[in-house]
Amino acid sequence: MGPLFKFGWFDYAYSLQLAALIGFCFGFVLERAGFGNPRKLVAVFYLRDFAVLKVMFTAIVVCILGLLYFSVFGWIDLSRVYLLPTFIWPQIVGGLILGIGFVMGGYCPTTSVVATVTGKLDGLIFILGMIAGSLIFAELFPVLQGFYESGCMGSLRLSDVFKINSGLVAFLVTLMAAGAYWFVEKVERKFGDPETLPAGSRKAKITAAIVMVALGLVLAIVNPDKIAATRAATQVAPKEKAEEVKQAPPKAKEPSTGFKIVDDEGC
Amino acid sequence: MNHERYSNPYVIGVLLGLILLFTFYTMGRGVGSSASFARMGATGVDLVAPEHAKSNKYLSEYFEGGGSPLMAWLVFLTLGAGLGGLFSGFISNRIQGQTARGPSIGVSFRLWLALGGGILSGFAARLARGCTSGQALTGASELAFGSWVFMFCIFAGGYAAAYFFRKEWL
Repeated sequence: MGPLFKFGWFDYAYSLQLAALIGFCFGFVLERAGFGNPRKLVAVFYLRDFAVLKVMFTAIVVCILGLLYFSVFGWIDLSRVYLLPTFIWPQIVGGLILGIGFVMGGYCPTTSVVATVTGKLDGLIFILGMIAGSLIFAELFPVLQGFYESGCMGSLRLSDVFKINSGLVAFLVTLMAAGAYWFVEKVERKFGDPETLPAGSRKAKITAAIVMVALGLVLAIVNPDKIAATRAATQVAPKEKAEEVKQAPPKAKEPSTGFKIVDDEGC
Repeated sequence: MNHERYSNPYVIGVLLGLILLFTFYTMGRGVGSSASFARMGATGVDLVAPEHAKSNKYLSEYFEGGGSPLMAWLVFLTLGAGLGGLFSGFISNRIQGQTARGPSIGVSFRLWLALGGGILSGFAARLARGCTSGQALTGASELAFGSWVFMFCIFAGGYAAAYFFRKEWL
């Protein structure tokens, strides 16, 4: 059962190799999409090419569906997946500034790496800027700390906010994504350059959208939260519990330096 | 432009989603990259002024384990991303030294804007505890409330600022 690392399947040194492999795939697909090119990236803000939005939404939908199906099948224990805590005010302000930085600099952090390795000088300058920006934040931290820790709502999922099960949230997300795809393609046809936009068959898109929404609908019906809760309850059998505790790596195995975000877990 | 046409964004999205799912399944956490740059900065400060680096309340957290701040999961991921991007660019003949910009802006002005955008992004990513990957992609996949808000704020900030930078790109 996953997450494998949390159940002690491999050690920290191996996890670093895995990080490099995951990063390789990550960088590879970003470059494939054209995300090493800032003009392709910022085109989303000028209504000409919504590749950024399509890639992000599709990745999120696939991952949401995957995680919830894995949970339903008992392949992953979602309670052991680190959930990013909500600090609503810094997230709102940080998001707005990041958006401005995106359109001004032409990149977001990961895409600037892909741009730099494919020869863009502006990508490299963007990276130097990010390092400087991080240091400015660190220098101002005494002043900013209050705001940085404000609006803490802890581990909060959309399902908690709307008081519905995560399967239903997933279904609504698939509907929202399908609606967003339909809308942005309409806008693209109006403002975009048909030469640079990938064609793709209409039939394939509609089929994929139906499959996506159907997968979401099934989740909404089976209610993954309930299944996970039932499984957790049956797992309390003392023998299994002892086994699990033995398998789980001691906390010290996750060095605090490697998991900066994890350090923020407690509000 | 003589380079190859880029891949279909929906296909890329599915692949990226599967990579992210694999990361959650194996590691129990998502991807990210912005912290790598903060760690590079911390390392740089440590080289120049080690005492200052360790006395800074924020940076000192990167030195907690005793080792180099660069011995971190996300740094390895970022290095891998560089290699993956390089490989993809290489096989598609897209590696070319240039300053990417719109037709109506000069090189030096574009580079200043890249620097400014980088500074804002680096600052914002620390404030929000992550960037487009570490906060938006990862958190949204986990249905984290704050990450969804963050993601929509990125788009809101971008659309709000787009008008002022139109000469840079169009």
